[in-house]
Amino acid sequence: MSMAIETPEAIETHELSKRYRRVSALTECTVTVPQGRVCALVGPNGAGKTTLLRMLAGLASPTSGTASVLGGAPRQDPTFLSEVGFLAQEIPMYRRLSAEDHIRIGTHLNQRWDASLAHTRLAELRIPLDQPVGTLSGGQRAQVALALTLAKRPRLLLLDEPFAALDPLARQNFLATLTSAVTDAAGRLTLVLSSHLVTDLERVCDHIILLAGSRVQIYGDIAALLTEHKVLVGPDRDTVPIGQTHRVVHTMATGGRSTRLVRLDGPVTDPAYQAEDVTLEELVLAYMGAGEASAAKHLTTVGEES
Amino acid sequence: MTWLVWRQYRAHGAIASVLLAAAAAVILVDGFQIASRWHSILVTCAGNSACLGQQGPLVNGVVSDLPYLSLILPVVLGMLWGAPLVAHELETRTSDFVWAQSVTRTRWLAVKTGWLLLAAGMCGGVLAALTTWWSGPINALSASAFDPGQFDTQGIVPIGYAVFAMALGIAAGTVARRTLPAIAVVLGGFIALRLLIAGVLRPHYIAAVTHYYSLTSSFSPPGQAWVLGQGAVSRTGVTVPQGWGSLGSVVPAACQSLLAGPATGKFGSMSAMFSCLQAHGWRGFATYQPAYRYWPFQGIETGIYVLLAAALIAVTFAIVRRRDA
Repeated sequence: MSMAIETPEAIETHELSKRYRRVSALTECTVTVPQGRVCALVGPNGAGKTTLLRMLAGLASPTSGTASVLGGAPRQDPTFLSEVGFLAQEIPMYRRLSAEDHIRIGTHLNQRWDASLAHTRLAELRIPLDQPVGTLSGGQRAQVALALTLAKRPRLLLLDEPFAALDPLARQNFLATLTSAVTDAAGRLTLVLSSHLVTDLERVCDHIILLAGSRVQIYGDIAALLTEHKVLVGPDRDTVPIGQTHRVVHTMATGGRSTRLVRLDGPVTDPAYQAEDVTLEELVLAYMGAGEASAAKHLTTVGEES
Repeated sequence: MTWLVWRQYRAHGAIASVLLAAAAAVILVDGFQIASRWHSILVTCAGNSACLGQQGPLVNGVVSDLPYLSLILPVVLGMLWGAPLVAHELETRTSDFVWAQSVTRTRWLAVKTGWLLLAAGMCGGVLAALTTWWSGPINALSASAFDPGQFDTQGIVPIGYAVFAMALGIAAGTVARRTLPAIAVVLGGFIALRLLIAGVLRPHYIAAVTHYYSLTSSFSPPGQAWVLGQGAVSRTGVTVPQGWGSLGSVVPAACQSLLAGPATGKFGSMSAMFSCLQAHGWRGFATYQPAYRYWPFQGIETGIYVLLAAALIAVTFAIVRRRDA
């Protein structure tokens, strides 16, 4: 029992669901993210990424299911709030107030607040402190918001589409800031970044949650997932023998040969198949396609019922 | 949290202070002039009430509209400060920034609404105090402090109005999540409620007193009473309000002759009419709220608005705590 208390998962959800009127934004989401991980939350637009993040941050409440964040349910209490940093997609700030004003707001609204951290980061990036943040460029604003979120010294940092508004250079700066923050925290900081493109996150993440059609398609350690999955190239014939031992995620047939992305359950014994390593992007695309297809199928059946 | 409120509202506060100071200066300058005019009238008339009645108006022109400031102020505060308090944060998504700090939404709302309600109450109070002082000589001369219009601008009720309008703006903005509709709700809701309460409820806070008197004498309630109705009443309960316009249709047959002729409106024939009515069992009546009820009424009306404000703020808290941000 003491073991469980020592290392609670940073995030643990059980059949977490959120409905907005009749639309299901997130359906029975069950995932875990261990502490100290950098987790990519990937999925097409409208897959439920924002909904999941907002529920984890305590800004939205689930319709059903449970979430445990750093050992407790997301709630309105100063201790919980001080441990979770959340940066919404819109990069919300008071446009007429300066970065310095925001740093001072942080000082007054947090028990634990590292103003010098924010000052140092903004000075490194040469972002003016005294100018209204509304007059800064999108990239600078994102950096200010990130510096403020980091100054809170959270144990869990939730960033919703942090790259959406950034050009490639700003993206690189932003990622560098994040990477150094993770390094500085030495395993104390868990990070969740959402994006609809996995390429944005590939270099920094070691964990992934893939959402499509409001459902979790796959989640877990990226390295483990990449060893578990293979691309099998072989003759375009009955897939039953492969489907029996392994799970075929995605099939693509081209000119008599087929390419199948499968989740392995044991070794591939059939010599007709050639097993190739899978890239993260291939993996994500395969599951995303499968998820979208099943979501579409689900919608059709619902339509037929009514 | 208080620092954040100060940072967000210091410009508002400065503008409001300047405007309030300007209004105060005008009221003070004019008030002293009225007071000195009033003193010279008192000296001239030396206790002769007929002489007091013959004096011209104490207040001149534009300045006589000063009391309306304290009627307008609450609704302006509610629209400009109350409506955006939550709604503007939601509209610009700054709620996502401020609610992601380590302060709970409850505390954030408590501190913000607390300071703004206090500010509204203070603005209302300052203006009410100035208006009450400015109206002193007028109240003394025309004994009208209890009348609608005067009652609403003096004493403590303006504080209640200001606090209520602010709360209405905050609640409407929280429900609508947008500033503009909330502003409309404050404007419409505040005016409608003020008219409703002043017109329908206020006369009945405490059951009015009715005094009957002989029609051949005259009667006016002592002090700054609020006369709700006065006129004549027959033995069977038919009433004719003062102004006597509706007398013609109900006058007893014996007095019909006194009605004829163009002289009906004149005082001479009216007094003959009153004697005739008196002889046929009619009496004069005056229904009024006595002067000593002025402060109880002020208290009751302020209480109603403060309670309504409290209910609106409670709704706001429930919504901000429970609804998804």
